[in-house]
Amino acid sequence: MGQSGSFMDLSINGQPRPLPEGATEPDMPLLWVLRDVLGMTGTKFGCGVSACGACTVHVDGKAVRSCVVPLSAAVGKSVRTIEALGTPGEPHVLQKAWIAHQVSQCGYCQSGMLMAAAALIEKNSNPSDADIDAAITNICRCGTYPRVREAIKTAARELRGAIPDGKTRPERLKAFRSCPLITSKDPCSSLQMLARAMAAL
Amino acid sequence: MKRRSLLLSGLGGAGALLVGWGMLPMRSRMGSADTLPVVDGQVGLNGWIKMTSDGDVMLAMPRSEMGQGVHTALAMIAAEELDVPLSKVRLVQAGHDALYGNVVSFVEMLPFHPSEREPGSETRTLATAQWVVSKLARELGINVTGGSSSVSDMWDVLRLAAATARAQLVNAASLQWKLPAAELAVKDGVVSHSSGTSAHYGQLSKMAASTRPGDVKTKDPVEWKLIGTAAPRTDLPAKIDGSAKFGIDIREPGQLYAVVRHCPCLRGGVGRVSADAAMKLPGVERVVRLSSYGGSTEGMAVVGRTSWHAMQGARALDIDWRAPAAGAPNTKAIMAALEATARKAAKEDGGFSFYSRGSLKDAQQSAARKFEAVYRAPYLAHATMEPINCTAQVKDGKVTVWAPTQVPGIARAIAAQVAGVADEAVTVHVTYLGGGFGRRLDVDFVGQAVRVAIETNGRPVQLLWPREEDLTHDFYRPAGVAVMQASFDAQGDVTGLAITSAGDAITPRWIERTLPNLAGPVDAPDKTVNDGLFDLPYGIPNERIAHVATHSGVPIGYWRSVGHSHNAFFSECFIDELAHESKQDPVAYRLSLLKDMPRHAAVLGLARDKSGWGTPLPAGRARGVALHESFGSIVAEVVEVSIESGAPKVHRVVCAADIGTVINPGIVAQQMEGAIVFGLTAALYGRVDIEQGAVQQTNFPNYPMVKLAQTPVIETHLVPSTRAPAGAGEPGTPPLAPALANALFALTGRRMRDLPLC
Repeated sequence: MGQSGSFMDLSINGQPRPLPEGATEPDMPLLWVLRDVLGMTGTKFGCGVSACGACTVHVDGKAVRSCVVPLSAAVGKSVRTIEALGTPGEPHVLQKAWIAHQVSQCGYCQSGMLMAAAALIEKNSNPSDADIDAAITNICRCGTYPRVREAIKTAARELRGAIPDGKTRPERLKAFRSCPLITSKDPCSSLQMLARAMAAL
Repeated sequence: MKRRSLLLSGLGGAGALLVGWGMLPMRSRMGSADTLPVVDGQVGLNGWIKMTSDGDVMLAMPRSEMGQGVHTALAMIAAEELDVPLSKVRLVQAGHDALYGNVVSFVEMLPFHPSEREPGSETRTLATAQWVVSKLARELGINVTGGSSSVSDMWDVLRLAAATARAQLVNAASLQWKLPAAELAVKDGVVSHSSGTSAHYGQLSKMAASTRPGDVKTKDPVEWKLIGTAAPRTDLPAKIDGSAKFGIDIREPGQLYAVVRHCPCLRGGVGRVSADAAMKLPGVERVVRLSSYGGSTEGMAVVGRTSWHAMQGARALDIDWRAPAAGAPNTKAIMAALEATARKAAKEDGGFSFYSRGSLKDAQQSAARKFEAVYRAPYLAHATMEPINCTAQVKDGKVTVWAPTQVPGIARAIAAQVAGVADEAVTVHVTYLGGGFGRRLDVDFVGQAVRVAIETNGRPVQLLWPREEDLTHDFYRPAGVAVMQASFDAQGDVTGLAITSAGDAITPRWIERTLPNLAGPVDAPDKTVNDGLFDLPYGIPNERIAHVATHSGVPIGYWRSVGHSHNAFFSECFIDELAHESKQDPVAYRLSLLKDMPRHAAVLGLARDKSGWGTPLPAGRARGVALHESFGSIVAEVVEVSIESGAPKVHRVVCAADIGTVINPGIVAQQMEGAIVFGLTAALYGRVDIEQGAVQQTNFPNYPMVKLAQTPVIETHLVPSTRAPAGAGEPGTPPLAPALANALFALTGRRMRDLPLC
């Protein structure tokens, strides 16, 4: 207990985050260090047993469920949370896609959902449905899943476009138009237009 | 006793008092220029709208945002009538004035059949009952976000308030510029004249506050620019960068954290407690005994430096629990008792008859053939993603509460009662809700938080239930059993339908614990438990739909779509059985019984067409359909299912809906998708088992949820409508379970009459 000196090494979103003396214990989960010690409340508590994913953050680039990661295991590593996924000026591709597809409802699970999705597409910029099924095991009681799936595909597409992939813009646009959201008779036609315009950029 | 005679005797009993009160006009919901507090040059125009000096609209918002998009939808209605862009409407939490009460949610509790409710052909009894309940609800002014009623309740009120404000602003410009109001145009909150004179709302608001609105007319639908469009949700940007503040995200200076541990046995108590081990743990500050608040089971709260420290402390408490005086409930015994009760009542014409027509006896006696089936549904937990929590501070005789609540006024009342202060000494800040689904219509956790805050020397404290406490101490969707009986004549036409169900009444229990002053000595018949049975649209000439209200001893509450959630499973599977018995196609059969219900037929027809009903499917797949009206909206769903690794796999759900005027089709599609996924979880996995008073499902691993991989493709199609808006948040849930069960029957030939299906 009280080895606060070594906790000085905790790095969150690229910043060293010193922890107040005696505020934490080595076995305290990272989730509670973020929320209750550092006041970073974007990462959520949902189940406490690694079952729902609301607390998902990245540790050294990997999506982890911070409710079961002891502080001692995060020390010396690079922690990234929803607060640093993007900035208002430069939103993450997923955040743009989340707006285009109007994904969120109550919003509570969305931080974890976005962090899990970010870990997926940053590793695999062309995820198949099966890849998405396997990577996104977070629980959402509002049922945003269909839009999460489409938003991930849209974001991955933009990511691929931003990275030279040998495709021309018309090719990317054609691929985007074959996306199920665009072809289905969804009432949100203006959103489709928005998404389509984004892809064409 | 018949529903109507009970209603009338109730009205008669209130006697002369009622007559005198009835002569007074209905309480206005407009408010006045001084209803809303103002700062920094803001100007109040009425109880809903104030203007900032730079022309932004501040809209009083009484309803809670829990994912249903109500903050966006209501702001759109105000923006439309004010002619301002949606981005210029800012929300400010409404106070506790009666004008912010939800009238429609109470009027909707009246047990009237859809055939009596059709606008323009309402029966006199209905009109009288609606008038009385509206008037009463306006007086009580209870602020409830529930019953899919936010838009329908505020539709007229908000349009009139916004149109009146706009008229005052235009008239103010007219007076100031000495130009006729008819020559002035409004665009994006700027009033202008062709001569070039113009001013924005902020510049006109001071004068507008004392200017008469004149004849106010709300817009004709053809003039709408915003209503009916898929405007992006205004709450979404904050929900994708972690900045949205839910109840659990409140962080006040000096804040402490408390974690609750209830008696594992529902309604049990706390005996001897040894806190020595807990108090020795680092970061544990205090232990507080919790009696029952707002219907909660007794328990203990441990206060700590963080939620985690408090959790360690709560685990370390050594507690002798006390069994409940009334005996510990067991679901096995309850289900058996419900079935026996329903069967007995079905034999004896027992229970409270919510609806009857024709002569069921004659139909049964002259029947060429009879058909009977018994359906069952279990208890269910809400499992909101944001665990139950509330933050409270008790300091200098004042109480501050930060609560994710669907009922801020009721939250204020319990906070005042627990702290022993007047209602006026309590401030309630309503945060975003990480899901509600009816769970946050209860205020048990608010009472607990205030109780703990009394012990923390003025420091704010955030009370949290770990997931295990949430699932084991919910107010559950009640279990239900229904005996369904049909009679056929010699031609094979269905002539009689008798439904006799049993299950706990919800509303009387909720009123007892949340509005104790309104609780009567005897339970009034609770229509919410019979919703989805007594109000079926099918033209069966002889019906008797009755319910026996039971007392199971399990805490029960409102759960997304309430009685419809299981009753639609009973009724829509049974109709499917009748179609099968009649050797007819399920869609064609329903349509043959909907000759007098054109809206229902249109919705079903749309679902049939969009789903490709009747067209071939890949081998091993089948379709099922269900049609259900709830909260004023009619929804049909067609489910495509196969069996994979022994379990149902839903591939596609086509949803057709008539919800009246649509404010935002994007949000409606979202709600239908969400309601379908919610219904799918309940249909496949949802069950709460209670043994010796203890709920066996404790966390997501044993109370599983549908995840992304199990989510079907969902398509939503809306029937264009000019009727007033109806519900959107709940009506998508009821048809899912029966459509799925009917699809499984089509696939396997096995009829499933018990939920869950897995």
